[in-house]
Order: sequence, then C-alpha cells, then structure tokens
Amino acid sequence: MKTTADPVRDYLSAVERESSALPADRRQELVADLAEHIEVTRAERPDTTIAEVLAELGDPRTIAATALAETGTGTGPGPTGTPTRSDAHAPVRRGKVHPLVPLLMLTLSLPFTMVFDMGPDAAFNPGTVFGFLFRVTGAVLLCTSVHWTAVQKTTGVLLTVIVPITFFVTINLITGHATEEIPALLSSLGILALITGTALWLWRTRRA
Amino acid sequence: MEPGDSTKQARAAAQLRKGVLEYCVLALMRDRPRYGVELLHALEDSGALATSQGTVYPLLSRLRRDDLVTTTWQESASGPPRRYYALTDSGRAALDEFTRVWPGFRNAVDAFLTTPHPHPHPGDRA
Repeated sequence: MKTTADPVRDYLSAVERESSALPADRRQELVADLAEHIEVTRAERPDTTIAEVLAELGDPRTIAATALAETGTGTGPGPTGTPTRSDAHAPVRRGKVHPLVPLLMLTLSLPFTMVFDMGPDAAFNPGTVFGFLFRVTGAVLLCTSVHWTAVQKTTGVLLTVIVPITFFVTINLITGHATEEIPALLSSLGILALITGTALWLWRTRRA
Repeated sequence: MEPGDSTKQARAAAQLRKGVLEYCVLALMRDRPRYGVELLHALEDSGALATSQGTVYPLLSRLRRDDLVTTTWQESASGPPRRYYALTDSGRAALDEFTRVWPGFRNAVDAFLTTPHPHPHPGDRA
C-alpha cells in the first residue's frame, strides 16, 4: 500500500474515492464526520497512534458501502412504520396511490353532486350517483393509504363523509325536499368548507 | 463482503446488530445529547454492539436526515468543537416504540431457543 507523509489525508481520500457513487453533499458530510472523529479522538487520546485511530475507524470500503446502503432510505417510514432496512438501494416503500387522490375525490364529491343535480324528479341523477361513488372510493383509498395514522383516517372519514351525509339526511328529513334555494346553498357551502378544511389538514399531516 | 473472515457466527451477529444498532444509538441519547466519539465508546464498551467505528457515521447521518436526531456544535475544553446529537420528538417516539416491542421480541426468540424439543429420544442423553 502506498503511504505518504499524511496518513489521515490518505485515509480520507480513500473514503472519498470509494464513496464516489454517493451524492456530493453526502460524501462531503461523511468525510467531514470522519475528519472530525479523527481530530476529537486525537485530542482525547493523545497517546494513541494515528494508525490505531484509523484502524478502529475501519476499512474505507466498508464505510463507503454502509453509506451507500443508507442512501435511498432517507425518506423511509417514520417512527410508526416498519423498521427502515438498510440494504443497498432498498426501494422506498410508498402507498400505491398518491395521497392527493383520496383527498380530491372526497372534496370534489360534493361540488360534483351540486353541479350535476338534475332535481329530485329526474329518473337518473348523475350528480348523486357519481358523488356517492366518489365519496365511497375516496374513503376506501383514504383508509388503505399508508400516508396517515388510524386516528387521522377515522377523523378524516368522520368529517368528510359521515358528518356531511348525516347533515344532509337530517335536513331532508326535517324540511323535506322543498327547501328554499338560498339556505340549501349556504349549508352546502358550509359542509364543503368543512370537507375542504379536513382534506387540507390531512394533506398537511400526511407521512412521506 | 469479506468472505475470507466472515464465519456464519459473525454473520448472525452482524445481522442482529444491523437491526438494533440505530435504536441503541437513539437510546444512548435518551438522557442527554452525545457527541460522535462518545457514542462510539459506549457502543464499544457494550461488546456485542461494537462495530467498525466509521460505519456509525453514515447511520448518524441518516438519523439526522430522517429528523430523528438534531445536531449542534459545542465548544470543548480540550480539542476541537464537538458535534452533539440529540433526540427530536420523532426520534423519541421511534425509541419509545422500539422499547415497547423489544421485550416481546426478545422473549419470543428466547422461547424458541430454550424450549426443549417435544420429541426427546431417551438414548440421546447418553
């Protein structure tokens, strides 16, 4: 092995060379961490030779391989997820469906119902049918997503599906279908605000 | 990676270490922030978790990227400033979760290893 006057420098450039597959900032961080370790160890144990310090740190190739294995798990599951694997190039586990999909379905189901409402006498009411399908699909996608905790899912379904449906059914039972246009529109907008707010909250608190 | 000196025994230990090392590192920060060399000494003193020191830094780097730990520089009376690692709220949550599941895990493995086999042959004891 080639040795020069500065073994620390040789060691760090070996780490740098072996970890060339790392993104530049990761590589620099790794080299800086190791350089700091060497400096601190030398200050704390002045009697230890530099060769011993470097031997304890280990083979640059092993360190580089570990660093490469840790890359790509940077957005791994959080504390409640499965333990992050550090196998090399392990794919990041993600939900099959983008988190925006259930939220949009839940939010848009109500405006969809309102816009395509053919009135209570229509034989086929696309607004009601598709709005209902949107709601059910959105709720199922929300519940099966990996982006939220069980509590968030329950709250989400409660506020975007159960509460609106209960509200409209109650209104219909009390007043019948002959509600006046303005109060009906206002209550729909209120419920829409509730659903939108809940969807925004879910979007903000989702897990990567 | 080093087929020459990795016996099956060493592989078993390495596999186990890989799974628990990050939680042991988090546990070391439970009561107070620690700097890198300090963490490595503690791991080394434990025996079973001692590992090639340099490989802990990529782990610490990931814990920082995953927002499980934060780092701050602190001056030292001797030598250069140290980078101290401290638990974040999510780091503490991850540690609590591990602390919760570990006893069950440990007991299950112990049970597998110590339960006598159900079909002992009398002649085996000779």
